[in-house]
Amino acid sequence: MSNIYRNKKYVLLFLLPAFLFLVVYLYYPFLVNIYGSFRQIKNLGTYGTKWNEPFYDNYVKLVTDPVVWTSLKNTVLMILATIVGQVGIALLLSLLVDNIERGTQFFRTVYFFPIVISATALGLLFNLIFLYDKGMLNQFLELLGKTTLTDWKGEKLAIFTMMLPVVWQYVGFYFVILETGLNNISQELYESAAIDGATRFQRVIYISIPLLRNVICTCLTLGVTGALKVFDLPWTMFPKGMPLKETFLTGTYMYYQTMEAKNVDYGATLAVLIVVLGVVLSRLTRRVFKESEDF
Amino acid sequence: MKMKKLTAVLMAATMGLTIYGCGSAAPAEAPAEAPAATESEAPAAEAPAAETTEAAGPVEITVTTTFAGEDSNAQNYKDAVAGWEAATGNTVSDTSATSDETFKTRIITDFETGSEPDVLFFFNGADANDFVNAGKVVSIDDIRAEFPEYASNMNDDLIAASPADGVKYAVPVNGYWEAMFVNTKVLEDAGVAMPGADYTWDQFLADCQKIKDAGYAPIAAALGNIPHYWWEFAIYNQQTPADHLNIPGAADDATGSQWVAGLEDIKALYEAGFFPDNTLSATDDETFAMFTDDKAAFLLDGSWKVGGIVGSCQSDPDDPSTIDADKLSHFDVTYFPGKGNRKTTDLVGGLSMGYYITTKAWEDPAKKAAAVSFVEYMTSDEVVPLFAQHTASALKNAPKVDESQFNALQVKAMDMMSGVTSLTGAVQDLFNGDCRVSTFDGMPDIVVGNVSAADAVQEGIDVYNAQ
Repeated sequence: MSNIYRNKKYVLLFLLPAFLFLVVYLYYPFLVNIYGSFRQIKNLGTYGTKWNEPFYDNYVKLVTDPVVWTSLKNTVLMILATIVGQVGIALLLSLLVDNIERGTQFFRTVYFFPIVISATALGLLFNLIFLYDKGMLNQFLELLGKTTLTDWKGEKLAIFTMMLPVVWQYVGFYFVILETGLNNISQELYESAAIDGATRFQRVIYISIPLLRNVICTCLTLGVTGALKVFDLPWTMFPKGMPLKETFLTGTYMYYQTMEAKNVDYGATLAVLIVVLGVVLSRLTRRVFKESEDF
Repeated sequence: MKMKKLTAVLMAATMGLTIYGCGSAAPAEAPAEAPAATESEAPAAEAPAAETTEAAGPVEITVTTTFAGEDSNAQNYKDAVAGWEAATGNTVSDTSATSDETFKTRIITDFETGSEPDVLFFFNGADANDFVNAGKVVSIDDIRAEFPEYASNMNDDLIAASPADGVKYAVPVNGYWEAMFVNTKVLEDAGVAMPGADYTWDQFLADCQKIKDAGYAPIAAALGNIPHYWWEFAIYNQQTPADHLNIPGAADDATGSQWVAGLEDIKALYEAGFFPDNTLSATDDETFAMFTDDKAAFLLDGSWKVGGIVGSCQSDPDDPSTIDADKLSHFDVTYFPGKGNRKTTDLVGGLSMGYYITTKAWEDPAKKAAAVSFVEYMTSDEVVPLFAQHTASALKNAPKVDESQFNALQVKAMDMMSGVTSLTGAVQDLFNGDCRVSTFDGMPDIVVGNVSAADAVQEGIDVYNAQ
């Protein structure tokens, strides 16, 4: 046996660059960010001129700021939309595609395609679809006889309009993962069930879904943590939380405070909130969607 | 076994080299340092601007301006840069972008992190205070000490001093004005006459009602996106040119009350339904499209929008020969309706931007002369008139404007400007950055009544005072 596998020096040598990279570009900035959340910082790239008074002022503001609560509520809605819309629809599609004889590859490509388009481009595309005047959707409705224009980005429909493209974009991602999971289920199980007289629906309920449990759990964990990071598409479609700061997510609100409102220290405080939320939710999802060793 | 060790060592070495390669700045620095030996050739002050750096060899300078996007001068800027590059052999690494709050933040951050451009075209008001206070730009006087001809073609009285220290840094190119563009086709359909120099606020309200009754949006504005122009004029309408640039000490003092009254006027317009139905959720581009598509009557904006309107009348926005003259004839420009002591013909405008040379470029022997040469070229007697067009410039010998080269809207803009009684700077340039957030980004909350105008103004003043 070679010494190269026993000697831990080589292992450390290979681990060190990635570790250093994370320390320099992730952990150190995060610590600086926490420090910055207690300072008065007007411009990015500085540590500010003085401490906030009291130094925890931003954290008090965090609790009392109604927009923070709006953004948290929207983030929770986004998580639900991810679970139901992204993973749910992806599961349905993958089960359907798994039951067809031909064209699986075609559907994989078609459903996965939105993933490769940049979120900003998709945002601009959906802006045109949802445009108030001459938007694609309103023109269709006009053809169907509707006489008034619908403000898809107005107060009543803004959240729906924001979440629809996000859900649509990632369905294909989970579809491919679930479809791969379905392919790993032995055909013999289905054949045995068929001989025993199980219908297609029963095979899905009693074989496919139970054996997909671990893959579904992985998808849900990815979906929930991913929902916390959604930024570019909502920001492109709803800059500054338009209308009336109703469409802010935690990420877009942090960006707004930092880049638009020039309240950098408060943006840093929101970043701390996002990290804490991410850690708590990822622990929670891991516990709730714990993978079973039985499968 | 030896092979495995060798493989491990080779992989480690490759990884190390990769990391070194990623971090090394040597290739980027090499060209900059190379011409340093010819420093003595650089300050050729007597030579024509474009030849200043010829002997020093090609230099690349980084330049950031706001001549991008829909700016009327975006193409003029590209042409001028190409002209300078051809004349000097130097190159420009251009990072120009449309002017908005994100752009301003980017510029300030670039200065804070030491990645500022060599030459910057930026606001000369309070937006520049941070990098001026930090000594990161060079004053015109300091540059003239070494390059006596620098900006010598400009009327110094018209070059604005920085509000931070009263020193002049930015060499202006073209001025700006803010006024009310009019879609005359919508006005005709609604039976409303073209407003003139004596147009009052009450007449404006009556006309808006007529236009609304005719099924059009009276005012094209996205209050949730760009309320800036309405903010400025609504406040100005409570004041006079003499006191418009005052910053209130509190929302209930004399100036503060004027600001509150101005914002209340915008709220009244919103409540009367004079803005588009989607004014809180629309972007500026959307409401601008309403205006150019004959669906809205009035558009309050700046002189840079002339190019945008003309572009909307061309089948190819980059080709003036494709203009639809008939469509362009539907557009006009006039004064913002007057109220109180502000005359209708008192406009907001001036020379609010200019070219800065950064200290970083100034202290770089390879780039110093090139940066000076670039600014001299862009602010020369030949280039400035191309940018200024129907606006003012600070040239000592401004050439007579040749109106035969202008399109119909530019001619109308010239006519409008000929009747201006005063041109005052924008107070929002002094009340900058986060001070404006509560009344700019907070405008939707003000007009729907979630926040009172007085509270929003006071919040902004508190931020201003804290600075």
